[in-house]
Amino acid sequence: MITNNPSINRKQELPLKDDTSGIFLKVMISIAVFLFAVTLAGVLSINSMLNAWNESILGSVTVQVMPVNSADQKKAKQETMDHLQKTIEFLKKVPEVEHVRALNDQQLAKLLQPWLGDGIEIENLPTPKLIDVKLKSGAEINFAKLAEQLAAVSPLASVDNHKLWLNKLIKFADGLKMLALSILFLVVAITSGAIFYTTQANLGVHRYIIEILHIMGAKDTYVAQQYARQDAWIGFVGGCIGLAFAIPTIFMIAGLADQIEGGIISDAKLSWLSWLAIACLPLLSAMTAMGTAYYTVKKTLEKMM
Amino acid sequence: MLRHSDIGNPVVIDMKNVGIRYDLGPEVLSDINLSLRKGSFHFLTGKSGAGKTSLLSMMYLAQKPSRGVLNVFGKNVNFTNRDSLALLRRRIGVVFQDFRLIDHLSAFDNVALPLRVCGMGEKEVKKRVKELLQWVELDKHMFDRASTLSGGEKQRIAIARAVINRPDILLADEPTGNVDNDIARKLMKLFIELNKLGTTVVIATHSEKLITDFAYPRLHLNDGNLRIFMPNEGLRGGMRTI
Ligand SMILES: Nc1ncnc2c1ncn2[C@@H]1O[C@H](COP(=O)(O)OP(=O)(O)O)[C@@H](O)[C@H]1O
Ligand SMILES: [Mg+2]
Repeated sequence: MITNNPSINRKQELPLKDDTSGIFLKVMISIAVFLFAVTLAGVLSINSMLNAWNESILGSVTVQVMPVNSADQKKAKQETMDHLQKTIEFLKKVPEVEHVRALNDQQLAKLLQPWLGDGIEIENLPTPKLIDVKLKSGAEINFAKLAEQLAAVSPLASVDNHKLWLNKLIKFADGLKMLALSILFLVVAITSGAIFYTTQANLGVHRYIIEILHIMGAKDTYVAQQYARQDAWIGFVGGCIGLAFAIPTIFMIAGLADQIEGGIISDAKLSWLSWLAIACLPLLSAMTAMGTAYYTVKKTLEKMM
Repeated sequence: MLRHSDIGNPVVIDMKNVGIRYDLGPEVLSDINLSLRKGSFHFLTGKSGAGKTSLLSMMYLAQKPSRGVLNVFGKNVNFTNRDSLALLRRRIGVVFQDFRLIDHLSAFDNVALPLRVCGMGEKEVKKRVKELLQWVELDKHMFDRASTLSGGEKQRIAIARAVINRPDILLADEPTGNVDNDIARKLMKLFIELNKLGTTVVIATHSEKLITDFAYPRLHLNDGNLRIFMPNEGLRGGMRTI
């Protein structure tokens, strides 16, 4: 008796499980989730890389002023000091700057001590003068612009090279991130579009049954729920398949990145939180598919009586 | 048009100057004026293509009139929102000329449809559907797919589906066309029972025998116009427009 119980074996009025468009959607969604996962991993690792770089770039800058070379040592020294003074005056006026301090000769001596040993007379050596610039907390300075302005103030002054270079890298990574984010957006938009059109076509296929349901007094939500349930499942399964392909791919790309020398890419580690976000993608695809299907059905049925 | 027992009952279907056309074609029905009171029983006749199905489909809210005013249960269908229309439809049982069963569902699931769309619990659904399937003598076929049933069996399933919800209005489009005389009588008895309980009934039919055997007023469609004849009034004899 139990085995033949129709309430247990209750069938959905709309035979959505048997539709071939379900297979198309599953494949489509698994490809979308694959692309999404790999791109998201990219975004997240660029992010952690950017954080590490920004930390090293924020806070302070070192500006150096090269010594003037001249036979007249006294005059050369005076000119160097003039350039130093001009540079300091300029730096104090930069809005992002909190505090400017020229390293004095003792501090310079200390820095040079490992190379030159004790007891050197720093004033008589043509060493560059260093200025330590503390930035206001949270301030982001445009290094390229600063370098240009410094060059205008004094041809002898320049920004620490490493940071300038890192700054350019950050710009590049930022651009890459925006590109990746727009890919994420596009993937979601295209997938939703595909779900929209397949659902709409499917409603046409089952128009006969939907009309019967309507005349029996079914509200639009009754039909929409059947589609939403089915597409949530398709979205979840498709998402899991896409993820299953994406995870080894992410590891492979990470392995390739590790081989790049210089330790720059090594900052690009995915945190466990990032992995969690990637692992949750099938839920996201299920929800997107469910929401889109529900919305499409409601919108399409509104045109019927 | 009215029996004495109907007088004073509220009007459940009201048409004023209703016309209907399909796309840009000519009007299939024009200037239909009709008031059906709660508890009334009418036959609907007319040649094939006269517009019986079209008239019924407006009554069961599958189509809006192209012009004129249609009130169902006192609500103007042109100013009623979709969810409220759905609630009105739940009070109307329909037997379609072509049955309109869902082929991949069992007889049970087809009959259960009106109960499920309004969210009835499965236990109650099971009880009611079994009872009714026994009554139409189809309990043996309860779990058969609708597509495997014969024409007469499909018709009985269609009728069971129409009455399962104890509707306030029952609209049947040639419901006895595919069954033998015994079953036709039995089904008529069912409609009459429901009518006695207060259901408003309209039955479109070709069967002169049915019309003469059961003395109910008759709505007759001809050339897009509706005329009403009292029982035992021949179509030729007392032609009257109302
Ligand atoms: N969905 C439709 N589209 C176009 N014309 C239709 C449609 N339904 C019915 N008609 C036309 O309306 C007229 C009345 O049809 P119908 O209401 O089915 O009459 P009956 O049920 O009395 O046979 C016929 O001429 C038919 O061709
Ligand atoms: Mg017809």
